[in-house]
Amino acid sequence: VQPPEKALQSEEWNRLRENFQLPEIFEEVMLNSMIRCNSPTDVAKSLLTHMAKRNGDIAYSVLLKYLTLCVQQGQVSEIRDVYDIMKVRFKILEVGAYNLFIKGLSNSDQWRMALTVLEEAKKIMIPSRTSYESCIKAASCRQEMKLAFELYHEMLAKEVVPTLDVLQSFFDFSRGMKDAELQKELFGILLYLRENQIYPHKTFMRSIKLWFESIPGRNWRGHLTNIKDSGQCPVCTHQLEDSNLTEEEYNNLSERIIRDVIHGTDTFRKTSPQEFEAFQTFVENRLPFDIVIDGLNVSHIKPKRMHCENLLDAINCLAKDNVRLLVLGRKHMLINSSNWKREIMKEMQNKADFFLAENISEDDAFLLYATLRSGKHCKFVTRDFLRDHKACLSDSLTRHLFRKWQRGHQIVLSSMFFSVFSQQPALRYDCVVQTTGDTWHIPYKDVFEEKYSYQVPRKWLCIQQK
Amino acid sequence: MQSANMLLKKIVRSSVLPVAAQHGMKRDLFPLSRTLSLSLCLKQDNSCKPSEKLDLDAWKKVMKSGLQEEVSEMVSEPQDLSGLAAARETLEMWRIAGKLVPENVSEEQLKTFMECPSKSAKKKYLKFLYLKELYKKNDKRKMEEKRERRLEQQEQTSKTDETKKGPFLCLWASTMDKAYNWRAAQSMIFGQPLVFDMSYEKEMSVREVANTVKQLVQSEGCNRRAVDPFHIHFCNFKDDSLYHREFLKHYKEAWGKLLITVTEQCYTEVFPKDKLIYLTADSPKVMKTFDHNKIYIVGSMVDRNIKTGVSLARAKRLGLETAALPLDKYLLWNTGAKNLTLDQMMHILLTLKDTADWKKALEFVPKRKYHGFVAKPVSELKKTLDLVNTLKLGKRQEEVQKQFAKSYPKK
Repeated sequence: VQPPEKALQSEEWNRLRENFQLPEIFEEVMLNSMIRCNSPTDVAKSLLTHMAKRNGDIAYSVLLKYLTLCVQQGQVSEIRDVYDIMKVRFKILEVGAYNLFIKGLSNSDQWRMALTVLEEAKKIMIPSRTSYESCIKAASCRQEMKLAFELYHEMLAKEVVPTLDVLQSFFDFSRGMKDAELQKELFGILLYLRENQIYPHKTFMRSIKLWFESIPGRNWRGHLTNIKDSGQCPVCTHQLEDSNLTEEEYNNLSERIIRDVIHGTDTFRKTSPQEFEAFQTFVENRLPFDIVIDGLNVSHIKPKRMHCENLLDAINCLAKDNVRLLVLGRKHMLINSSNWKREIMKEMQNKADFFLAENISEDDAFLLYATLRSGKHCKFVTRDFLRDHKACLSDSLTRHLFRKWQRGHQIVLSSMFFSVFSQQPALRYDCVVQTTGDTWHIPYKDVFEEKYSYQVPRKWLCIQQK
Repeated sequence: MQSANMLLKKIVRSSVLPVAAQHGMKRDLFPLSRTLSLSLCLKQDNSCKPSEKLDLDAWKKVMKSGLQEEVSEMVSEPQDLSGLAAARETLEMWRIAGKLVPENVSEEQLKTFMECPSKSAKKKYLKFLYLKELYKKNDKRKMEEKRERRLEQQEQTSKTDETKKGPFLCLWASTMDKAYNWRAAQSMIFGQPLVFDMSYEKEMSVREVANTVKQLVQSEGCNRRAVDPFHIHFCNFKDDSLYHREFLKHYKEAWGKLLITVTEQCYTEVFPKDKLIYLTADSPKVMKTFDHNKIYIVGSMVDRNIKTGVSLARAKRLGLETAALPLDKYLLWNTGAKNLTLDQMMHILLTLKDTADWKKALEFVPKRKYHGFVAKPVSELKKTLDLVNTLKLGKRQEEVQKQFAKSYPKK
């Protein structure tokens, strides 16, 4: 349906309604299309008037749609009127209405009223992140930073995840302010990014840079740069934090992997207690390894070659400088077949240690255990992203640790067309927001879209005090 | 005809027409192009004809005026917004806002709703209740229609009354019941046992348990009607467990009279270990034939969030033989998980037992899950499938191969 361009009389509405296929839902359909076409509110008003005359009442859902239209066009006085009507007419409102009121009012000079609506909404539910976003933006754009931060902390306390827009608005609106308290809060946001491994996007990064440079008397300077593989910042020659976990984190992670990934709810799901014990004694007797290889994963790299040849290539490629290799696989690899030749297997077993699990066991869990047990220097080789194992970990903190450890310790082999293997080395530095007090290093994404969770940004913002 | 005339007169009298007439647009007025042309003229003439201007805020007056009495009532009401009452209120608001919320919510459902851990869980639960209510309503409506039709028919037949006479009394339902029970009783003595492992309660949510029990009730029903029923065992069955309570809801007093064996013991205690075969979709072994001397175990578990390997782990722990249905061997798999519902399993096993015909048995796999039966060996089929796909879909060969490799993993 095409909504009319001008307000209509009741009779005309009636006629339109009668011509409509389903007269019962005519008003709803009409209002929906008005919202879609962004029709003038007068048209909607005339429809409401017509409905009021017909039924002597207007349904909540219709009011809600009218409200959507008003919010869309920023008609503040209308929003207030609808608010008054709804407040009198209904005992409580629901989430959708509150969200709309907050959104509509926070963009106007009536923004304080949005805060009272937010208070009301809190009584029946936890407000949505976008509601908080609107209120915080409204407050911070009027330089009411204290109020904005109060809301922000309240939001975090309720475990509502703030949008990047909110965080950005803090930096945008506190530009040039000298308040020490405020600076502390903003550094707090940067640490929040660090703790949750969030990477700002380009425009957000720019806001951060501009804010730093605008602090009076501090002389911060920001530069965009790429960090070298060695982990040194080319601008300020500062060495970034390395990707190793601390002793405590490391122990914590290995404990969790054994508990959540290998045992889980039932040890029998991935292996069996006997097998795990056998594996443990095997590993303890031969520690430490330098590289642990997921044999089956590596053997599928080049689909046209024999599996055992692929594995042999990989072992030859990695077995330099006396590194100790452990290959994990399954028992079926020992059976002579078209893909697994006994002679080649023998040859490989001379070059590396092999542990072969039962055919129905999961070898990935063993991979993780052997690598962690061997110590911090040990790396592992697989193309698997290990997402399902990460998902087994019970809390987000450990999952972050896992990702960090994975970034620092996973070697990915990839097959090029003719060359044998190329290695994508594990990153030596840790890719998070970091500071030394007089420098800040902030990784950022080029685009707004979410990158793959296993990829880390290679671009950095380096900020230093002159 | 008269009413149409009246309507026309009304239109002519109403504010719009004279305006349009001034501009000589009378012809354009009627239905189709009306809105456009009207708005054009109105735009020009609104200012000079204030008497015909719409009162756009009239609805506000109506909304406010009709409320005066109600408002006074509401003020006297205490504004307590806590607990169940508040939740009920919120639900009502959601309902009139047009969300998928049931009309009637029981106290128990309201409590479950409040215990939902997140917003999305709440929404999901409400949608579930809403759909349930909708289906119930539709069923009721259909039942009533049916009853009316039947009454009509009865009236007609009573008019042309002619009592049929035959050698049998019309006692189908109860006679059949007796026959079925006789057979089931016989199976309890001589029949092949079929075990349902009831030890998965901890693995499931309340709703999954309810679904499981529903499927079990259906399986029991189709077993009872079979020519040669199994002797059903519910093993690891704890009294007063969630399973038990759900069964009581379904069977009521008939629960005590069912011709099945319910035991707290594990199947390994009841039967010799070497005769047991645990059926699980995760098993690496594929079932070739139905063995009449073995005892098959089916895990009574519905897993909506795909917990792989739970039942395989159980079989591994007890050192039992496992088997999976040869779905890939006989069916060209399309989509969906390979685990089937309990009643489908029951149908399949019963058919296998009677006929040993895989094709017939696997008819009970839902049609949406497979394209068709495999008549030729898989490799030949692959060739034709490749050809069809490359010709029809223009897909690249590699993609097709990938697809194939996915549905037929090499073991």
